[in-house]
Amino acid sequence: MSCKNSKEKTDPGIFMPKAAEVVNAQMVTPTEKHFTLRLNNGDMFDYQPGQIIEAGRFGFGEIPLGLSSSPVNAKTFDIVVRNIGKVSQALCELNTGDTMTVRGPFGNGFPVDELKGKDILIIAGGIGLCPVRSMIQYILQHRGEFGRFTLFFGARTPQDLLFEEDLEQWRASTDVHYFETVDRPDKAWQGNVGVITTLFPQAAGIGPDTHVIICGPPVMYKFVIAELDKLKVPRGHVFVDLERRMKCGVGKCGHCQINDKYVCLDGPVFRFSDIENLEEAI
Amino acid sequence: MTQQFLRDDDLMPFVEGLMNRYPVIAPVAKRTRFVFEKLIAADDLRLDYDTTVLPPKKVFFPSRQDLIHFDQQGFSACIEPQAQVLMGVHPHDIKGIAMSDRFYSDRHFDNNYMAYRQVTYIIGSSVQQHYKYAFFGSINADKPLSGHDLFMTKIDGGYVIEVVSDKGAELLACGSFSEASPAQIAEAEAVNAAAMENCPQKLNGGSAEIREKVRAAYESPLWDEMSEDCFSCGSCNIVCPTCYCFDVQDEWNVDGASGCRFRLWDACLTSEFSEVTGPGGTENFRDKRAERYRHRYMRKAAYLNDQLGGPACTGCGRCSGACTADIANPVNVINKVLEQ
Repeated sequence: MSCKNSKEKTDPGIFMPKAAEVVNAQMVTPTEKHFTLRLNNGDMFDYQPGQIIEAGRFGFGEIPLGLSSSPVNAKTFDIVVRNIGKVSQALCELNTGDTMTVRGPFGNGFPVDELKGKDILIIAGGIGLCPVRSMIQYILQHRGEFGRFTLFFGARTPQDLLFEEDLEQWRASTDVHYFETVDRPDKAWQGNVGVITTLFPQAAGIGPDTHVIICGPPVMYKFVIAELDKLKVPRGHVFVDLERRMKCGVGKCGHCQINDKYVCLDGPVFRFSDIENLEEAI
Repeated sequence: MTQQFLRDDDLMPFVEGLMNRYPVIAPVAKRTRFVFEKLIAADDLRLDYDTTVLPPKKVFFPSRQDLIHFDQQGFSACIEPQAQVLMGVHPHDIKGIAMSDRFYSDRHFDNNYMAYRQVTYIIGSSVQQHYKYAFFGSINADKPLSGHDLFMTKIDGGYVIEVVSDKGAELLACGSFSEASPAQIAEAEAVNAAAMENCPQKLNGGSAEIREKVRAAYESPLWDEMSEDCFSCGSCNIVCPTCYCFDVQDEWNVDGASGCRFRLWDACLTSEFSEVTGPGGTENFRDKRAERYRHRYMRKAAYLNDQLGGPACTGCGRCSGACTADIANPVNVINKVLEQ
């Protein structure tokens, strides 16, 4: 192990982030803030739908977040921060023109090539919509390359519906069969009420050839999987997007381990059949 | 590479020669135990130590390590390795360092570890006294030593010094050596073989069998039974040469304008380790003591085997000695699993 002229002299290490300017920031629910970012050095940010970054603010720390925009417009990229802890609160204090830091992208995103040409069902619960939005946008931008596209979105209340502009667009669009529900309606709500699985009877064409992406709170998965089993969707066609606490993003710190897998290296997107027997997964 | 002989009387001049050139970190006595520490005087060196409280990983992966310094103007990495000598490392700890090297260099190269590792000269030394919990003779026993630069074996009248690398050969300039005789080399081989043979504790199975049976025992009630007294303190993690998990935190300097991002050792046995913050509070993916206890043994005996080609355990026995509840001895745990 010699150190002569080796890269060890100049490599700043895996923790060195890049500065990113907030080009747009907007509270989209009472607790969630949507940021559009651009690297300060002007570089493209190259990533796959479903990949994650560590977003941070010095003096507070970093948190792992799914990218919530399609990489097609890679000069800017989006994240959504739920104001729930010390670091997320510090990030949510930032506004247009401020700087945060990013590291990544990390992990495996959605298997875009495998999904091309297939009928797609995306099931998003709550802020689970944020990471899968990268795939939704990708499909809509490459609509001809995918088959039938169905999207389920469930939120706790109408106030928790994210990306209102997107929702408006999807409701009106013929490119996506969009279904939504809330657990607890308010007086103005005229849509479906109930947990996300109540949307299954309303959607047509879900079956053994459908490929499914699921992202939501852990409690949602088992009920959704049970419905997919009834519809004879093979578990090898089902992809889940999991979240864990992560300190490094590169398979060192150990926090995101699910049995012998690392969410940051082997995920965050997993084929369900690969993890269904891992007790610690969901 | 060559085998040299260092007379007992020439040991201190050699150590002093090293200290003139480099910081030398080596086992020294501290109250009733031993620790790896920077030598202040050559004769503080205790090559007759049984084990150290913490493994030598702390030399490259300190319990707290600065990663990034930040201020109003920006941020910068703080990787500033200086050549140093790590001396008196037992063979099983050399294996532990080799495992750490894999963890930190595979897939993503962690220069905050590797830069310090690569400027360090490692001088191994033979086991002169066994730690009462040691079982290195029955785990990874046939794994060859790698990554060190010199290895010194205590024999009658002095030390046989095996020169393992070019880096090691450089260090010979710090002392006076003669070529070791075939009889001395044979004696050294016998000393090292006896150290492996005479381990006070022993596993009752080979690596492949351990891996298979530990994995198969995933659902066993054994984990509940064994972890009943666990305090979730993480001492077993902290003293382990192959535990490398960490937390990352930020802290401000008193000026309120600059500060530091640093990492510190973390432990998967603690209850907070696999928590995730959600809208309803925290969710813990290994909520029960038994799940955390099992995770550690799964990782050591099964999960990391693919990467290392053997268990992620050196047989040093530090976890057995560090456990307040006396439930962490891998020999007891693994041998119980092997009986099933």
